[in-house]
Amino acid sequence: MDSITTKKLSSEEIFDLMKKFITEVIGEEFVEEMDITPESSFTKDLEMDSIEIVSFSEKIKAHFGEQIDFTGWLSSMDLDQLINLNLGMIISYIEECQS
Amino acid sequence: MPVITVSGKSVHIQELNKGAAETIVLVHGMFSNLSVYYFNIAPLLATKYHVVLYDLKSHGMSEKALEGYDLESMTNDLFALMEILNIKQAHLGGYSFGGLIALKMAIRFPERINKLAIIEAPDPNDDKTRGIIDEYSREFLEHYVENFTDTTKVKMGKRQMERNHRMYEYLFYQTSIKTDMELEKDFFGSPAIATIKQATLLLYGTDSNCLNAGKYLDGLIENASLIAVLGDHNIPIQQPLVIAETLLNFFQET
Repeated sequence: MDSITTKKLSSEEIFDLMKKFITEVIGEEFVEEMDITPESSFTKDLEMDSIEIVSFSEKIKAHFGEQIDFTGWLSSMDLDQLINLNLGMIISYIEECQS
Repeated sequence: MPVITVSGKSVHIQELNKGAAETIVLVHGMFSNLSVYYFNIAPLLATKYHVVLYDLKSHGMSEKALEGYDLESMTNDLFALMEILNIKQAHLGGYSFGGLIALKMAIRFPERINKLAIIEAPDPNDDKTRGIIDEYSREFLEHYVENFTDTTKVKMGKRQMERNHRMYEYLFYQTSIKTDMELEKDFFGSPAIATIKQATLLLYGTDSNCLNAGKYLDGLIENASLIAVLGDHNIPIQQPLVIAETLLNFFQET
């Protein structure tokens, strides 16, 4: 269980945390075959389906708590934006919320 | 991931804005999961309401179950969920098969349901609805995905395809879902539907195969209004904001 953290993270630390969450959601055996980068998109590159993105979102919410409104941020996106969502966009969003 | 035990089975739920005075419970469709509401529809409704989403048995992140897919069992599950969450009364919304569950809920437990929103509930006796269940095959899934992706723009990858295929295989060949659905084919002919007194919103796609089912329900339910939204059966995915705003207006109307 991830605890809510208030420590400010660097973009590398956020990236590593995101990779950890993705591994927990889709499983190590699939992640091993992938080259995860900040440019990796959730639907196209990581092949995550919607319920897996829900699990991923829950992990972010559990980790950062009130610091960020991740679901609120996602809800402002239309379908095209959601499909094209990549790790770098999430890292930037979390960094913005921390500043 | 919030998981609670309902009738001895693990159920994945999501709750938004727990402190709100009134509750909306949303039920997803067959072969889908709560994510159909999670990203756009639920957050907007949660600006005013406590919103509860859950994955039906064997769907999403909820535990698998070999039987109990008839509307009686599915509404027993929802009733038990409401009891555990201490929800005495709620507005209820359901999409596709979830719309049938919502209708059955309003029939069986009218005192527990305030307003009712039915999105694209199909007539279980319709050939196309039953055809999906009868003619399932891997080819069907691939064909379905090809067509489905035209409207949703999401291309399913190999791992997703395998995951979905496993779910279809499990539901079709190991559970009682086919026979349970067959038993519900006369549901729209049941006089019980006309006993629904709740304010009922019927949301259907202008190009949907199910639009006639919406018109039929509109004629049968005394306090119903039908709104046709541009799109087909996938309107919650095609027009999430329109659906969310229409639902919010409906639930807020006095």
